[in-house]
Amino acid sequence: MELNKQSINRDEVIIVAEHLVKTFPGPVLALDDFSIRVKRGEVLVVIGPSGSGKSTLLRCLNGLEAIDSGTIVIDAIPLDHHESNRLAIRREVGMVFQSFNLFPHLSVLENINLAQCLVRKKSKPEATRTTRELLAKVGLGEKIDSYPDELSGGQQQRVAIARALALRPKVMLFDEATSALDPEMIGEVLEVMRTLAEEGMTMVVVTHEMGFAREVSDRVVLMEAGRLVEEGATEQFFLQPVQERTREFLRQIL
Amino acid sequence: MLSRHRSFHWLDAVLLALLFGAAGFVAYRITVHLNYTWNWSVLPQFLFRYDRETDRWVANYLIQGLLTTVRLTLWGSVLALILGLCMALARTSRSLYWRLVARTYIELMRNLPPLVIVFLFYFFLADQLMPLLHLDTLATRVSPFWKQWLPLVLAPPEQLSAFCSALLTLAVFESAYVAEILRAGIESIGRPQRDAATALGLTHSQSLRHIILPQAVRRVLPPLAGQGISLIKDSAIVSVISIQELTYQGTQLMASTYLTIEVWLTIAALYFLLTFPCSLAVDRLDRRLNRKR
Ligand SMILES: Nc1ncnc2c1ncn2[C@@H]1O[C@H](COP(=O)(O)OP(=O)(O)OP(=O)(O)O)[C@@H](O)[C@H]1O
Ligand SMILES: [Mg+2]
Repeated sequence: MELNKQSINRDEVIIVAEHLVKTFPGPVLALDDFSIRVKRGEVLVVIGPSGSGKSTLLRCLNGLEAIDSGTIVIDAIPLDHHESNRLAIRREVGMVFQSFNLFPHLSVLENINLAQCLVRKKSKPEATRTTRELLAKVGLGEKIDSYPDELSGGQQQRVAIARALALRPKVMLFDEATSALDPEMIGEVLEVMRTLAEEGMTMVVVTHEMGFAREVSDRVVLMEAGRLVEEGATEQFFLQPVQERTREFLRQIL
Repeated sequence: MLSRHRSFHWLDAVLLALLFGAAGFVAYRITVHLNYTWNWSVLPQFLFRYDRETDRWVANYLIQGLLTTVRLTLWGSVLALILGLCMALARTSRSLYWRLVARTYIELMRNLPPLVIVFLFYFFLADQLMPLLHLDTLATRVSPFWKQWLPLVLAPPEQLSAFCSALLTLAVFESAYVAEILRAGIESIGRPQRDAATALGLTHSQSLRHIILPQAVRRVLPPLAGQGISLIKDSAIVSVISIQELTYQGTQLMASTYLTIEVWLTIAALYFLLTFPCSLAVDRLDRRLNRKR
């Protein structure tokens, strides 16, 4: 598979984001000279208190929000004012939202086929084949003709993951993918994410699930007020954090 | 929501009694005091008449007028929908220029009396634009096939130019309302849906066409259909520019027969026959959509 080939070269940097600044009217400084690099096949977990700019970071990475200054390069494509580059980056970057954001007027099949046909210009039978494959992978093969409002939250989120995977992205962004779920459904979604990580997908994951973070991630970043507080390899981050602020934050959530 | 209770209160009885009393009083005034000789017998012939030449019953003034009203409404709705959609898209566009254009158009159309718009447009269109289209000469040169169908689909050749002016006029002011309804629909589709479409790499127009508009239109289908029904009633306004639709035929008939009340009661009944089934259909549509979502 394509993904395994990528994971061979694990030192190659796929996301380069430097000196990102993003302000919202208010003014709120959501990202304050924030820089981050992510290697191919790496799983990066981003944590931080509410309002620290985690969602904003993810939304800037695929161009859902325009940054005020700084540079973002993903898979050697610069995210600049060229619409074609933005579209190219969005083809390479899948995103999963806290609130699923499935298209309610389309069936599960159509939800997942849509971008394949419109963006990757696949024929419908070809797209449908990929869709079946992905649905089987997230364990929802029998729901192909259902509509989003007929599915549970956990099922909807798994469909949303399949939809994001349908473009065969090289990077996946997860913004609190399990925060809107009932506790009994969190496991099934984390399971899908864990599988993806094992297959070598490059992932940037915003989450409050510390167990999942410790088990699956390679590296952890703590954000506060749009700035990077501490970053480190997972084991070291949790066991021997350097900053006092990190220790305090971990005490609060663990 | 408030629950609908169906029990009968004594106040309801009083209200009903008052209502019947008032109706009885009006009926009494009409029969006893109104100095009016009723003559219903001549009216049916203005609906349908027997044509000796072809040996058939054919539509007469009033039914012809009704059909013209139907044609005006149908084509007017189609045009208003197209124009309204363009205006709604411009109104919600990211470009300030297009937003200003649409806003100006919509506010002008909604804040002028329709009658004034009709006169303004009619004299402008009929004087300036229609001759440019050469509709009159076009109408005289059509193929036999179209000669047969044109009066059924649009209007007889000699009235084509006036009919098209009226059609455009109706579409133009109706489209302002359509645009506002569609805009509300578009804006009701929240940021998350747009984000999801954008994140999947859809272009702005793709996300409009496949994600935003289908959901928006579904949401505003009932008010949109209601606007269509309004158009049936509003089309009466073009009678002032001598389009031979139902209301115009009514005024003509009244002038020649002096059967004022009979004629207008008949006209009212004909309009009602047209609008009421449509209203019922919209009601059912509304309930169907509510049940689904
Ligand atoms: N669209 C927006 N308009 C105005 N301010 C915004 C917008 N989006 C985010 N912000 C502000 O930017 C800051 C960072 O928000 P962001 O959503 O990135 O935080 P977060 O770390 O994801 O928080 P949470 O854990 O609550 O999701 C906050 O102060 C927020 O109020
Ligand atoms: Mg967030």
